[in-house]
Amino acid sequence: MAALAGLGAAMGALGRYATTKWVTGRWGNRWPFATLMINLLGSLLLGLLTGWQWETWPTVIFGTGVLGGFTTYSTFSHELVMLLDQRRYGAALGYGLASVGGGLLLAALGLFVGLRFAG
Amino acid sequence: MANVLAILICGFLGGCLRYWLGEVIPTGTGFPWSLVLINLLGSGLLAWLSHARRLTAKWPEALTVGLGVGGVGAFTTFSTFSVTTVTLLEHQQWRMAVAYLAVTVLGGLICSALGVWSARRWWGLPLVKL
Repeated sequence: MAALAGLGAAMGALGRYATTKWVTGRWGNRWPFATLMINLLGSLLLGLLTGWQWETWPTVIFGTGVLGGFTTYSTFSHELVMLLDQRRYGAALGYGLASVGGGLLLAALGLFVGLRFAG
Repeated sequence: MANVLAILICGFLGGCLRYWLGEVIPTGTGFPWSLVLINLLGSGLLAWLSHARRLTAKWPEALTVGLGVGGVGAFTTFSTFSVTTVTLLEHQQWRMAVAYLAVTVLGGLICSALGVWSARRWWGLPLVKL
């Protein structure tokens, strides 16, 4: 099971790397949009998957693995500290609230919709 | 290409380790300690790795990218943090949900700040002041 989670996480991490490169190439990296989008999308999808109550192994591969590896907490926290370090307090507050608040709302939405699809 | 390979290998290890810690750390009181530990430890490590330039300059860039984006990035996770908090709220465990949120966010900030500070202090390049 751990290996399944690892395989999924490797794919998720690569997806995050590619997404971040694409987003920062297009819109720059002055504001951490890439990580925000990744974490919000991942929260929504994991909510869906959890609500759906699939079997164990696909949940481990796609939930713990792919979505777990795609989303990241360490980069979020580091980017937040860097915004504070640059004294961009408004941006830091906006980024923190959008990530945590948005993540909770989208996870709740995902769980709600997922439960509808569960048998 | 070296970056991609390093991210895949480190991401695999990071995901395995997160799954394993989730299995072995007991959840007696129902408080999600394993993910708190994972996210705080990872926040400190990534911040440190991103600023320990004097150390990371000695090895190939792909290793730093692999360890940061792949290893620590896949070890920590945001989606499970969101879903777990919502699940706690759904079960009306208000205090535990708020505690979990506060410990993760504030603890993450402190760990990241400590990582940045210690790396700049002891492993930073003296010439570059950012």
